[in-house]
Amino acid sequence: MIKITELQKYYRTEEVETVALNSLSIDVQKGEFVAVMGPSGCGKSTLLNIIGLLDDLDEGSYKFNDIEVAKFNERKRSDLRKHNIGFVFQSFNLIDELTVFENVELPLIYTKVPAAERKKRVEEVLEKVQIMHRRNHFPQQLSGGQQQRVAVARAVVNNPKLILADEPTGNLDSNNGNEVMQLLTELNDQGTTIVMVTHSEHDARYSDRIIRMLDGQVVMTTVG
Amino acid sequence: MLKNFFIVTLRNLWRYKFFSLINIVGLAIGLSASLVIFMIVSYEFSFDQFESDKDRVYRIVLDMNRDGFEGHSAAVPAPLSKVVKDAVLGIEQAIPIFSFPGDTKADVHINRSEDKLVTFKKQEAIVFTNLDYLHLLNYRWIAGDPPTALIQPFQVVLTQSRASEYFPNTPAADIIGNRVTYNDMEVTVMGVVRDLNQASDFRAKEFISLPTIEASSLKGDLMFDVWDDWMSYSALFIKLSPQATPQQVSKELNLLYNKHKKKESYFSKINLSLLPLADMHFDNRYQSADFRIAHKATLYGLIAIASFLLLLGCINYINLTTAQASKRAKEVGIRKSVGGAKNQLIFQFLGETFFITLLATLLSVLISPLLLHAFTAFIPEGLTLSFLGNPEMIIYLIFVTVSVSISAGLYPAFILSGYKPVQVLKNQQLISFGQSRQTLIRKGLTVSQFIIAQFFIISTVLISKQIYFVLHADMGFQKEAVLTFNTPRDTVDIHRTQIKQRLAAMSGVAMVSNGFTSPAMEGGAFSNITYQNGSEEIKPNVQVRWGDEDYFRLYQIRLIAGRQAIQSDSITEIVVNERFTKEIGFQRPEEALGKFIIYNDKQVPIVGIMNDFHTQTMRAEIAPVMFQGRPGNTFHIKLQSEPSDWSKVTASIEKIYKEVYPEDDFNYEFVDDTIKKFYEKEQATAALLRWATGLAIFISCLGLLGLVIYTTNSRTKEVGIRKVLGATVMQIITLLSKDFIQLVLIAFAVAAPIAWWTTHKWLENFAYKTDISWWVFLASGVGMLIIALCVLGIQTIKTALANPTESLRDE
Ligand SMILES: Nc1ncnc2c1ncn2[C@@H]1O[C@H](COP(=O)(O)OP(=O)(O)OP(=O)(O)O)[C@@H](O)[C@H]1O
Ligand SMILES: [Mg+2]
Repeated sequence: MIKITELQKYYRTEEVETVALNSLSIDVQKGEFVAVMGPSGCGKSTLLNIIGLLDDLDEGSYKFNDIEVAKFNERKRSDLRKHNIGFVFQSFNLIDELTVFENVELPLIYTKVPAAERKKRVEEVLEKVQIMHRRNHFPQQLSGGQQQRVAVARAVVNNPKLILADEPTGNLDSNNGNEVMQLLTELNDQGTTIVMVTHSEHDARYSDRIIRMLDGQVVMTTVG
Repeated sequence: MLKNFFIVTLRNLWRYKFFSLINIVGLAIGLSASLVIFMIVSYEFSFDQFESDKDRVYRIVLDMNRDGFEGHSAAVPAPLSKVVKDAVLGIEQAIPIFSFPGDTKADVHINRSEDKLVTFKKQEAIVFTNLDYLHLLNYRWIAGDPPTALIQPFQVVLTQSRASEYFPNTPAADIIGNRVTYNDMEVTVMGVVRDLNQASDFRAKEFISLPTIEASSLKGDLMFDVWDDWMSYSALFIKLSPQATPQQVSKELNLLYNKHKKKESYFSKINLSLLPLADMHFDNRYQSADFRIAHKATLYGLIAIASFLLLLGCINYINLTTAQASKRAKEVGIRKSVGGAKNQLIFQFLGETFFITLLATLLSVLISPLLLHAFTAFIPEGLTLSFLGNPEMIIYLIFVTVSVSISAGLYPAFILSGYKPVQVLKNQQLISFGQSRQTLIRKGLTVSQFIIAQFFIISTVLISKQIYFVLHADMGFQKEAVLTFNTPRDTVDIHRTQIKQRLAAMSGVAMVSNGFTSPAMEGGAFSNITYQNGSEEIKPNVQVRWGDEDYFRLYQIRLIAGRQAIQSDSITEIVVNERFTKEIGFQRPEEALGKFIIYNDKQVPIVGIMNDFHTQTMRAEIAPVMFQGRPGNTFHIKLQSEPSDWSKVTASIEKIYKEVYPEDDFNYEFVDDTIKKFYEKEQATAALLRWATGLAIFISCLGLLGLVIYTTNSRTKEVGIRKVLGATVMQIITLLSKDFIQLVLIAFAVAAPIAWWTTHKWLENFAYKTDISWWVFLASGVGMLIIALCVLGIQTIKTALANPTESLRDE
């Protein structure tokens, strides 16, 4: 599903140029659950953002479902993104002005799903993450674990083929963290491909394969 | 999708209530100013737009010239109207419009029944004209037979409003054939037409047939056969045939005129020309009593003021929205990561702006009646202010709402939608990419706001200073506590002497004089004299004044040399002012004593020299004046000092007046009020500018307040740390205000020269003017600064006083 070869990514600031990713190549198969690990600053988030088409790459090739997307413009990317990819962030990133229901509904709005259908699907997924009773609350009224469950719900409501999660449990205690990991595993069992960045060896064990990075490069891959 | 946008909009609006309020109020003020101004401007431009073939209709006007002195007249010699159509090729219709001589008004008497005579005094809008007039304006007939109306003498067609005023509760058809008496001339009603409901400078409501003039004494009064002179009661419109060109027609017109005129005219050159109907409402060279001229420059000024106020509101919006952009950045990042495209986001933010502008528009409709105060002096008569019944108004409202939304919303929409999700979502904290450029733009916009506000302040002060100057400057004569009134034209001398004696004996009256107008008058009364200095003839253009032996003493005009002119009904000798003596070539005024000037082919000696006084407004130079000793129709009364008794005195004067002239109305005016009226336009401008200044300051300060609240909020942590480290309250206030004060100072530096230049230009209208003093600039700048400091103080002091532990705790 994902085939990245010889990827280079630089960050240029006024005086220094940081090499965030250095001739990095990875493959992710459809249905896989991959964990990405490595020390802080090694480029995990950068990689995830590139996979999610939120950021562009400087050199190399990126094939998504055999289509070269490295040179896609903003419009094509957002198209591809909204139909195929769901995101879960460490800091939840819910819109404060929208209720739980409205937050989850958002991706469906952008993919122009009719209102009735939207309602059904949002309710289904809220049911699944067990947050249905909080549907009319605003994000600030929820605990961290609940917020992350909403974020997961939002990531999956569109039935994306790929879920990208950047330290989804980073801000959660272990109970809440486990719940979220449980959720991701279930989704993976149902066929969703998952790429997850994590610092936790415990969480990484939920995955099929662990990619370890250092200084912008893949140093080791362990199959679980 | 729309619903979702709308929810976010509403919740944001509510969450940042104060900023929303600033935006809405700022925009609403600009919008309501623009609404009122739109109504005024569109009304003025709507005049006479409805006539069919209006492009072919012209008013014949007159230009005259003598020694570079130009004159213009909207009236033409009366006989022209009789011959023009046949004598000049290319004229399809000639529409003469005459009115009653005097004040164009007439007393209308209706015999309702045998013994019931109803009189309508001083009715306006009565003209003598032909049927083409009614055709031109597309009058719709309610009753009567168009082909036969207005053909014979003593026929009249009435508009419906006048018809029902004269013959209430009578069906139109029954009004036909009734008699109406104008002064003492009886005519028959031949038709009733519907009133016009479009804006027009053709304002007549009663149309008397043209032949009536020749069949009555009006023939002489209106100089109906005189080619060499014209009265202002004689207007002539023509409609050209489609092939004719105005150039060729006006050429032929002048040939025709020159053929008929006999006398060598006072003017060396008289030229007839064609004024297009479209220009009639705006060309103030051709003023006439029957309609009002709109001043295009004033309209453009009003438009400029509206645009500035709107601009200020837009700037507030742009500044506050971009300053707060970081608060929305996370939302943008999330929306993008779940699939929102950039143009969807632009659309969303533009939609938000539109919504806010819409609220502002609604508010502006509510507050514009208040704003009407600012514009009272500029609201043309006949304009009714209504919003709903007026489709133009609705279209304008939509137009202005959309265009303001775009001007205010586009830049913020681009800024907001430009956030990259990777930057924003990284760890909840905004990386200030491009912030510095935005800050610069924001500063630039704030500076522009203050430039506008500062410009208004300086110009208002300077214009008010000039008005104070013209009203308080020494005019060379006494203008306080003097009132004047006119006696009817046909006053006989014996009445005058009687009145004068009775008035002089009245308690509360210090002195009475009788003569021509008071020393200064708006237009001036010019005459031409010749002076032979031995080698050449000098022909100065002089002002004439006359009055009895008390005139000088009453107005405290000083005789510098010689004596007063003796009283006489014909001119036997004159007193002149100093300027006069200079004009005819004397260094020292008294040298002119005993010299003769030629006036009306008569040798007249100069027997006295008086001091110079202002003869007109301060716009004009003091003119050479010749003063004759003879009585006139104007009484000048100097009252005794107690203003509290004045109303009693005027009441007694009126009593005497009414005894002598029971038929006439008594109207008096204080000389200083008359002088004030010279500057009505300037005073209206100043009043408007005061409003504009107030509003500009208000809107700008709202914006400033918004920005400073935003800045201090985002710096509370910094302030906390600084305080912990030992900064004083004053240091913190300085820190927070410094940047803003800089902006105000920059604005001053830009606005001052612009304001200097504009007021300098404006003052060029005046021959006598106040100084553009440096202290005005200083005071205006300091004033603005103080206002800005107060606004800043509200927030900075609060922030500086806040307990630092509070701002640092939530770390
Ligand atoms: N916008 C940016 N500008 C400059 N350098 C950046 C930017 N974003 C990331 N970097 C640099 O790129 C490198 C990779 O950053 P990245 O955020 O991918 O690390 P990470 O592995 O996700 O770290 P962490 O575990 O702390 O989240 C780091 O050295 C970081 O400093
Ligand atoms: Mg990271």
